[in-house]
Amino acid sequence: MPILVVDNVDKTYDGAGRAVNALRGVTFNAEAGDFIALTGPSGCGKSTLLHILGGIDRPTRGRVLLDGVELVSLSEEDLARLRRKKIGFVFQFFNLLPTLTVAENVELPLMLDGISNSSASKRTTEMLERVGLGGRAAHYPAELSGGEMQRAAVARAVVTRPDLILADEPTGNLDSENGTQVMKLLAELNREMRITVILATHSNEAAQYAVRLLHMRDGVIEEIA
Amino acid sequence: MTVFLTLFRQFIWRALVREKLRSVITVLGISLGVGVAVAIRLANVGALESFRAATDSVAGETSIQITGSAGRFDEMVLADLGWLRSYGQVSPVITGFAKADLSNIDSDSGEAAVADSHGPYLQVLGVDVLRDRLLRRYRLLRVNDNGAEPGIRYLLMLLADPQSIVLTEQFARRHQISIGSRIFLLIGESRRAFVVRGLLMDEGPARALQGNFALLDIAAAQLSFNRVGLLDRIDVKLKSGSDIGEVEREIREKLPDRLRVLRPETGYDQVEKMIAAFQFNLSALGSIALLVGLFLIYNTVSISVITRREEVGSLRAVGTTQVIILGLFLGEALLLTAVGTVVGLGLGRILAGAAVQITATTVETFFIASAATEAVVRHSVGVDEVTLAFAIALPLSIVASAVPALEAARVSPIEAMRGAERLARSFKPSIKHLLLSSTLFVGAYRFSSLDPTNGLPIFGYVAALMLMFGGAFLVPNVLWLACVVNSRWLARLFFTAVIEAKLASANLRASIPRVSISVAALSVALSMMVAVSVMIGSFRDTVSYWVGETMVADIYAKPITRAATTDEGELSDEAIKVAQNDPQIEAVYPFTTQQIIYADEPVTVGAGDFATFLKHGRLLFKAPSDARDQIRDAIGHDFVTVNESFSLRFKKYVGDMIELPTAFGSHEFKIVAIYYDYSSSRGWVVMHQGTYAKHFPYSRPTSMSIYLQPGADAEVVSERLSRAVDKDAQILFATNVDLRREVMRIFDSTFAITYALELIAIVIAALGVISTLITLILERRGEIAVLGFLGATHRQLRRMVVMEALLIGGVSQAIGIAIGLMLSLVLIYVINVQSFGWTIQFHLPLGFLVQSTLIMIGVTAVAGLYPAARAAKTDVVRFARAE
Repeated sequence: MPILVVDNVDKTYDGAGRAVNALRGVTFNAEAGDFIALTGPSGCGKSTLLHILGGIDRPTRGRVLLDGVELVSLSEEDLARLRRKKIGFVFQFFNLLPTLTVAENVELPLMLDGISNSSASKRTTEMLERVGLGGRAAHYPAELSGGEMQRAAVARAVVTRPDLILADEPTGNLDSENGTQVMKLLAELNREMRITVILATHSNEAAQYAVRLLHMRDGVIEEIA
Repeated sequence: MTVFLTLFRQFIWRALVREKLRSVITVLGISLGVGVAVAIRLANVGALESFRAATDSVAGETSIQITGSAGRFDEMVLADLGWLRSYGQVSPVITGFAKADLSNIDSDSGEAAVADSHGPYLQVLGVDVLRDRLLRRYRLLRVNDNGAEPGIRYLLMLLADPQSIVLTEQFARRHQISIGSRIFLLIGESRRAFVVRGLLMDEGPARALQGNFALLDIAAAQLSFNRVGLLDRIDVKLKSGSDIGEVEREIREKLPDRLRVLRPETGYDQVEKMIAAFQFNLSALGSIALLVGLFLIYNTVSISVITRREEVGSLRAVGTTQVIILGLFLGEALLLTAVGTVVGLGLGRILAGAAVQITATTVETFFIASAATEAVVRHSVGVDEVTLAFAIALPLSIVASAVPALEAARVSPIEAMRGAERLARSFKPSIKHLLLSSTLFVGAYRFSSLDPTNGLPIFGYVAALMLMFGGAFLVPNVLWLACVVNSRWLARLFFTAVIEAKLASANLRASIPRVSISVAALSVALSMMVAVSVMIGSFRDTVSYWVGETMVADIYAKPITRAATTDEGELSDEAIKVAQNDPQIEAVYPFTTQQIIYADEPVTVGAGDFATFLKHGRLLFKAPSDARDQIRDAIGHDFVTVNESFSLRFKKYVGDMIELPTAFGSHEFKIVAIYYDYSSSRGWVVMHQGTYAKHFPYSRPTSMSIYLQPGADAEVVSERLSRAVDKDAQILFATNVDLRREVMRIFDSTFAITYALELIAIVIAALGVISTLITLILERRGEIAVLGFLGATHRQLRRMVVMEALLIGGVSQAIGIAIGLMLSLVLIYVINVQSFGWTIQFHLPLGFLVQSTLIMIGVTAVAGLYPAARAAKTDVVRFARAE
């Protein structure tokens, strides 16, 4: 069974006094270990789709099933718990908590889930080594470069070994070298851990790391490649 | 200017409206602070103003007054003062206070009706109306149904009957008294019946004390007040064109030693001096609320600057000058303060009523007899109060907001391009703050050892302020330490909320520069509360011990009208004999008191039989520690003991000689002992009754202490004595237990207002904490949204914020207790001693400290609930879209 099922999802919201159809009839599936890139112009609905897949937002119509669980039927609390365990996010602006060290940022989802200190610490250390930040664990985000921050964000996204990673323009705030580094990392983790990755991006270079492409325009999936 | 006003409206005003809650909280904090300060001022001014108004009204056109150096004097002296008439009109006066028995108006005086001793004090003037008419204005309302205005001759006729009395129209209307009514007055130990023969119009002396004034013929007054053959004073109205100073000098030279000349306002000046310390302390405590309110201004502007750096950068980028930026934020502070001040003025008027009520007992007990009658704020919020409020609050708000406003002016345009400060600066402990705190603590110690200024503990308060600011500068480092300790160790205590505790510590640590001010404000408020509570607790323990050690008589008796501040009422020989003849009474110790002026201040001279005292009584002596031999030596000599207040106020010690005015002129007495006395802040001089009779012959015993035979029941004997004395005798018999209870009741009511003031300061500070937390949450909504993305539940978010509030509360309480204890030492050993001359034994109230800590932690947790709810409601979707 596909790890992710998106079935005829619509999303309409009020924007400046009129209804905006951000998504219309979006339908696709993703298997475990898929690497899908969502491309399309600004305002086509990529980010809206990612938010719905992540349980942050709810569709106006349609269904989303993650590992057989229908997201729409879950309460806010249950969605939060689901995100901890099964979904990782990587943002354009990294969104590391500035008041926590790199290690503390990475172990945050584990701590939120009540994992013990020692266990969380062990997994965090492993993940930081994996992304090449083993020596930066005690530093604060303000002390890191953009590339390092994004790698820390990736480590945070995968430390819980989620089923799904949702990456929204992860290279949008990085130079080409760092962007390549981050995309390679994502691709490696996708292969090693068989985590499904859905990447929203404007960048052709970033999209090339994906196995499948979904091109969107005006809230509709135009093309699947 | 137009540009500035437009920018102000768009940039400051709209933001204030948008952030309604924060704006309201700031305005509320300022208004409470201003309200308290205004209320205290109105209460202080009201108490004195009503007394001044009474003094002035009763004085009428009196230019100078002749009084006895030691109180009342023989009226025969008048014959020797005929030369006074060459200076102007002379009028002898008997004056005193009586309590109106309002429950028995028109009742049959033949029955032993139970007297109501709770009626108002009436100021009674006994004069020779013919002589007095040129000094005071008496206009009768009416005396019959003819409607014609009666003349002075008629007034004279009215008062010819010794039972005749003239009241005021105001008083009569208030208590439904008409002409011809029979009214009872409690004067000293007696209850006397009078018939109302006339009503005075509401002017002149009739206006005094809200109409609580009565006029008797001088002979009737002498009889009623048991002053036959005596006078209280001679009022003189000088001829027009006289130089008062010159005449005063001439008269002073001619007067015998046992008389002195003074101006009518001297009595007011003396009371003003005495009450100054009490009112000063009250004002200082009230100012704490204003100080905390100003912390709030700093906090609000500071947070406004921090959260809007990007916007400020944008303004600078488009060409706004630094001066305009500075002006905008100073303007924000001024606007909030101005609105808060206006609201505070109204609030002050409402609070003043409560302040007057709460302080009435104290003022009446210690300073002005008639104050309780005036437990209404006579003085409205006038131009003075408005001017003072704005003149203090507005400049202080500029001072409070100067630093953040200057910081805003220094924001460079590039801030706009770089985006908001997403990467927080972490706080590092600062040696600079520690040094500042240490310097202030050392300074506080030095200032606390300086002498008072004009009897006011000004340096004591400077020391207190330095301690508070020293504590405030400790806040950043202590907060940092608390966050570190909580994160590393204490968080483990929270079991299911470990991550929330860690997140709370991390958030707070990063926010220390912003949160410090509101934590400092709460710490300051708490430290004052701790200090005042420790001081009051120590004081109460000291007084309780003192009461236990010195109030050893079984029964105490005094005339019902006698108060610490009136000279009214003496015990008759009959009443004393009744006690002495009771078979269950072992000893009676009559005590006489007389108020005199020493070094321009009223002091009390007291006397009793030292032999009886040595056998039965007890005093706690300061120097020497056991003065029984000195007391024994005082019998038959001009030796005296003085209370601690006298000693400290006038800097007189054992072995010193003091010159007191007596009925026969000044005389020197030697101080042989100093005793602790918490019954009064006035100076007391006590001598053996034989010595007293030699120098003050016109006084009689004013109270008595009664010592029972072993096994006798105080209640039973008390009851028996009440029945045995003359049926019209108004003597209050109180058992030892009752009196101790009354002493503690007066004590507790004296400090009621301090608790109220401190509570208000804490409320203001707590508002600051809420305001800060809300702002921090708004600023961190991105991070809170990220936590939502990562799977934090609403409950976890709420817990995180509540824990931040708890950390804030815990740190505030810890600093509050530490500084509060130091402050209590200043209050106990410096301010109290310099203000009132009372030594208090320090007592550490552990139970109270534990209790207050728990309460404060609870309060801050509750204060964190609303910000926590807001955090939990962060719209993750909106944030995601904005990203």
